[in-house]
Amino acid sequence: MVSCCAEKTYAETTIADLVSRACVSRTTFYKLFSDKRDCFEAAAARCLERVGATLARAVEGCEAPAEATRRATVAGLELLAAEPELALILNGDVLGVEPRRVDRYARLAVPAVEALWARAGEPVRKHSSPGIAFGRAQLLVFHEVAAGRAERLPALVPDIVYLATAPFAGHDEGLRQARLAAASVGDGASAEAGASPDREVEALSTGGTEEGPGRAAKATSRTATAGQIS
Amino acid sequence: MSAPAPARLPRGRHHLSRDDVTRSQRERLIAATARVTAERGYEATSVADILAASGVGRESFYELFGDRRECVLVAHQAMLDDLIAKVGAAYAGEGEWVDRCRTTLAALLDWFASDPAAGRFLLVEVAAVGPEFHARFEAGFDRFVEIIDAGLPADLPDPGPLPTTSLAVGAAISRVYVEVAAGRSEHLPALLPQLTYEVLVPFLGEATARDAAFAAL
Repeated sequence: MVSCCAEKTYAETTIADLVSRACVSRTTFYKLFSDKRDCFEAAAARCLERVGATLARAVEGCEAPAEATRRATVAGLELLAAEPELALILNGDVLGVEPRRVDRYARLAVPAVEALWARAGEPVRKHSSPGIAFGRAQLLVFHEVAAGRAERLPALVPDIVYLATAPFAGHDEGLRQARLAAASVGDGASAEAGASPDREVEALSTGGTEEGPGRAAKATSRTATAGQIS
Repeated sequence: MSAPAPARLPRGRHHLSRDDVTRSQRERLIAATARVTAERGYEATSVADILAASGVGRESFYELFGDRRECVLVAHQAMLDDLIAKVGAAYAGEGEWVDRCRTTLAALLDWFASDPAAGRFLLVEVAAVGPEFHARFEAGFDRFVEIIDAGLPADLPDPGPLPTTSLAVGAAISRVYVEVAAGRSEHLPALLPQLTYEVLVPFLGEATARDAAFAAL
């Protein structure tokens, strides 16, 4: 179901496609699922679990909310880049089947992020709407995936980090975290976005103990410059 | 598409040219396709439903469109063009950039509020046409980003690595989608101050955005 939806969308997928792809008989299909929709719901639930588990693993043992946000963002986007069919089904087909579910993921994710900030003892003050931020993030991801550019999803790390941080910590902190994230995901993302080198050095040197996700890509010329300054 | 449904042509002898007749039929079919598809859902809509709602004959339908899908895609393009023209005109108006942003968002929200069926068709039902929807979605999104980018003032603060325009368009579209999908299109104009604030924050920060979004109240 997941690969059929990715290829031709839920609307165009037939039971015949499903049984031939899965190499099961029609009879077996109907023993397991009552209809195409039933099978779709099971597939979507499994995809959602997979994304949820990846995010949970990424933030495990991480106390600082901003860092946890960055880690989760990197892990989530890398997963979707490697398996774009997850994003296609969760963002695209799920809405095609039931448009009112558009804020379903926001209702799952926003309290989780809120809890991160609350656990860290930060007063959870809303600088802007996390729900709208989440909707934006969803759209940016779907925009890349729908265009067949899933491999470029990791370039969205700074944007998503900003969206996940700014509602709770404010625009300036969101921007700072986005710059940190841009530096830590490597040249691709930050160079494409055209960030000015001075500001990145500033961001990195004020970053203090808040290291990025600690990827090898951090060893860029920019990091080197920051090292010389501090 | 807040204009009233295109009128049927007079029966019997008339002095309209063949082109006039075709244009009228095309407009009626587009309006009817959007309305009927939004009401019944794409899957449940047949060519017969569209014909009944438009008053156009089957033969004329197939002279204009290969099938229902093509008609739906043409109707979708026409709706999107109309929305983009209205939003673009609002953005191109007079005044400070933040005021033009508010006017632009007002135009967007009013468009969806004034014709909930058209909005539902444009954003929601079109997802059912199949993979073609992905390309449509991307192209539509990019056209909004282009329009907003073309009118950005030079003196905005440096957004660092943020694609501020995509964030602005994303905020507006995702918010509108939530309301349209929930059947609350008519409440959209009331969201103007909040949405203006959300759109402006990545460009200007909270304090300036708050002043710009709520000052007019």
